[in-house]
Formats: sequence, structure tokens, C-alpha cells
Amino acid sequence: MKHRERVETVLNHEKPDRCPMQISFTPEFAVRLRKDLEIQGRQVHNPHGGGNTYELERTLGEDMLLTSVGWANSYYMDDKAYVDEWGIGWDVQPYQTPYGIGHYTEIVAHPLVDDVAVADYQPPDPNREHLYSDAKQMIQAFKDEYWIVGVTVTTIFETAWALRGLEQMLLDMATDSDLANHILDIPYHYHLTAAKRLAELGVDMIWTGDDVGAQYGMLISPKMWREYLKPRMSNFFAELKAINPNIKIAYHSDGDISPIIPELVEIGLDVLNPVQPASMDPIKLKREYADQLSFWGTIDEQHTLPFGSPTDVRNEVLERLSTTGKNGGLILSPTHHVQLDTPMENFWAMVNTITNTTYQ
Amino acid sequence: MDQTLEPIYNAVLNGDKDAAVENVQAALDAGTDAGVILQKSLIPAMEKVGQLFEAGEYYVPEMLIAARAMQAGLGLLKPLLVDSDVKPTGKVVIGTVKGDLHDIGKNLVAMMLEGAGFEIHDLGTDVSPDKFITAIKEENVDILAMSALLTTTMPMMETTIKAVDEAGLRDVVKIIIGGAPVTTEYAQKIGADGFAPDASQAASMAKRLVA
Repeated sequence: MKHRERVETVLNHEKPDRCPMQISFTPEFAVRLRKDLEIQGRQVHNPHGGGNTYELERTLGEDMLLTSVGWANSYYMDDKAYVDEWGIGWDVQPYQTPYGIGHYTEIVAHPLVDDVAVADYQPPDPNREHLYSDAKQMIQAFKDEYWIVGVTVTTIFETAWALRGLEQMLLDMATDSDLANHILDIPYHYHLTAAKRLAELGVDMIWTGDDVGAQYGMLISPKMWREYLKPRMSNFFAELKAINPNIKIAYHSDGDISPIIPELVEIGLDVLNPVQPASMDPIKLKREYADQLSFWGTIDEQHTLPFGSPTDVRNEVLERLSTTGKNGGLILSPTHHVQLDTPMENFWAMVNTITNTTYQ
Repeated sequence: MDQTLEPIYNAVLNGDKDAAVENVQAALDAGTDAGVILQKSLIPAMEKVGQLFEAGEYYVPEMLIAARAMQAGLGLLKPLLVDSDVKPTGKVVIGTVKGDLHDIGKNLVAMMLEGAGFEIHDLGTDVSPDKFITAIKEENVDILAMSALLTTTMPMMETTIKAVDEAGLRDVVKIIIGGAPVTTEYAQKIGADGFAPDASQAASMAKRLVA
């Protein structure tokens, strides 16, 4: 099966030859993996797909390739503190792992922290042609073979809080809906423009997302999600499907968002990502949504991949294939970019179990 | 509840900062003791906020606005409490461990602990073991509370506990930990005294640990 057929098959809730796989990496894990595979590639790996050359993904046998336009490309932009084109300030934070020192880029300054800055704020222009040159090239080079995903994650809420500050954005949503709506509209319009353009260029799927789940429940109430985010997401999905009725829509939220999944399905969601198994039970979700929804993710990145054994990893993959992946509907992926704290044996246990297991 | 205290309780519960300030001032003007206002309205209100959070009726935004109202009211009481014989429930040093800059979970725990009557010394984020140790030595602390969001920074909790132990301070403080990847098993494994899955349960646990 071609990579893209494999993805198409599972999204139609049919059995593929093997489960489709998608894996992204933090930049330092990508360096380790390149050494392990003895291959070259772009110096700094962008886990969201912007600017990547896909040597790693293709060598591993991944089935989906990602191309990203939007604020999420501001992650991992530099190895020293920087301000992105939205005016959001970032710092580079080192951390120690058994496999060396890694670095996260972390949001540290918010341009709309003061109310007075909100009215005059000019966001970047999503119509700049060069933003889409990577997407055009990769669609041309790879669409015959791979399932192409246009990435516009951090679609509304996440970019909004990066602009305003997380606590202040949550306070605004609780106390000043006019202000909150004004701020939420800024990234909403930007990413909608970008997603529509990616859909017109011919991507197979658009990946949207906003983290509204915490480890054991939602960060905001379902009621607040219905007030601020559902109407925008609903229109976002509808505008994409108006461009291409066959386009698939994926949505990402970390944590437990089980109360709003029925409504995501109602507004046209096709694929839910990343389904953190420590927060939401992938077997229960499969039982509840059957062929209404596909799942992308489910391999635990909080316990199994960094701290488990290769056997634990293999068992988790096999369990997913026989449960959540029964009769398709599953793209296996770690629930986050593979982190530097992951033992290489665990990484290969995941990849090899996925690629070597034939569907029953 | 006393009729001067009930509006304060309701203001905190509804996250109405202005009403909290106004009603705390009114209660003080009516001659109500600052300690009584704290113990009989602000603390019970935050306890109720915690219950509503655990019951899935309140979420982070509602908790934040309630805490903001509580802190505004408490701001009026603090200078008066210093002069009275009202003692805090306990003293807590709190921070996100070295390498980790995430603070909303840590901030929520600090707010709920403050709402339970604890005195809070918040060291912020990216806090080294040495900084925690210095604070424990200087502050006469009952509880050390550490947060980590990431699997890559979570091991720093164990490093910090070892450092506290080596500094001869392990018996001086209770240690509580929290954060997305943290579990009860992990807390036991690294020798912490407790783990709580959310800010409300962290406050209840802290109260039990100093009782």
C-alpha cells in the first residue's frame, strides 16, 4: 500500500496492511536520530513541520507529512531568546536528560498584556506568498505517495493566550467577553486564512488545535468552550469543507476533553489528536465513537515512552492495534514530539512494532 | 453566616473582586475582627471554590477570578492580621523546579493554599535545589511544594528532595509535588510526602500534613 492509501483506508474505517504512523521529534531528538540513522537533513528540525525536508520521516516509513503555516512555527525558532513576528517573546530553557541537554523554547512575554495594547495591535499578514512556498513544494514532491497535512494548530485559544498571557486570557474569558472575543479573533482570522490557502493548494487534511484539556479534566468549562471556541471552530471546519468537501479535519488538544468530543464530531471533526492515554481512555473512546471519529496519537509520552521498557512500548502498540485500531480508525503516533528523555530502544520498539505488525 | 460576612463569602465565590473589597471594608468598618473575616468568610469561600472545582462545576477561570477576589479582600486584612494573634495555617515555599518555566498549575496551588490560610513564599519558576534549600532555612517553613509539567523536568523533583535531605532539612519540612506527569507512585518513589492531582486537593492535603 502507498503511504497515502494507508491513511485514507483507516480514515474510511477500513483495515489497512499495517497501521499508519506519524512521528515528530524535538530538535535534539532529531539530531540523535539522524546520528542513529546516519542521515543528513535540515539542521534544526521543526516538530510542527514548517521548513522540514522530511528525510527522517520518510526513512522511518511515516505515512503522513506535515507542513505548517501559523504561529506554531514560532516554536524552536532560535537557540537564544527571540521575539517572533507576533511580538511574542521567547526564551530558551535548557533541561537535563540521561541523553544530554535539551532546550525548550518557552513563551515569556506577551505583547497584549496591557489592555491599551489590544486596540492598536497589528497581527502579521497571512497572505504573504512566501509563507506557502514550502507547502507548494512538498505537495508537488510528495502528494502522490504521502498523506499531506496542512498544520494550523494553536488555532485560536493558544495563540490568543500567548498574545495576552494565559491567566489574563482566562480572566478575560470569565469577566470581559467583548475583550476576549476581540483577542480570540486575531489568531482565528489568521489561521483560517492560512488553512483555506493550504486547502486550496491541495493538502489532504488540515490539523487544527487548541489545548483546552488539563491532565484530569478540561481547563475551561464546556459552557465556556461553547461560548468562545465552538462557534469559531465550527465555521473554521465549514469553510474548509466548502473549499474541498473531501478534506479531512483533525483537531488537537492535550489532556482530557471528553465532554466536548460529541460536539466536535457534530461540527464536522474527522480525526482527534493526540488522545493522551493517561487522560482519556482510547478503548472507551473507540467504543463511544466507533466509525464517527478516527484517532491519531495514543502512544503514551508521559510514562511509557520515556520511562517504560521496550517491551512496555511494544505491548502498548499491540494493545492499541487490537482495540482502538480495530477495523481502522487509528493513526499511531506518540502523544507529543518525541522528547530527548526517550531511550532509543523504546523509540525503535515503537517504530518497529508499528511497521512490522500486519493488520489482523 | 453573619450578615456582614455573607456578602464577602458570595463575592469570592462569584469572583467579584470589587464586591469583595467593598464588603471586607464594610465588615471592618462595622468592627468585625480581621481574623474573623479571614476565618469565617474568605477561607470558607475558597474551600467552597475547591469543592465546586472538584465537582466539575468550576474550572480554572472561575478558580482564578475567585482567588483574585479573595486576594483583594485579604490585601485589606493583612496589615491588621500582623498586629493580631491570628497565625497562618502553616508556611509554604512553592516553586516550579529547575528547567521548567510553566507556572499556571503552581500559581493555582499557591492561590488555593493561600485561600486555606497558609502563608506563601512563591519562588517562581526554574527554581534550583539551592534556592529551595535557602528558602527553607530562612523562612521556618512547614511545607515545600514543587511543580513540574514535563517528563524532562520531573526528575528534578527527586534531585531537589535528595539535596534537601543532604542539607539535613528533610525532617524539617513536608514535601508535596504536582504536575501533569506526576503520580502518587512517583511521589512515593522519590520520597515526597504527597501528591495531589489538582490545586483544591493540594490544599486539603497540605492542611492534613500540618494538622
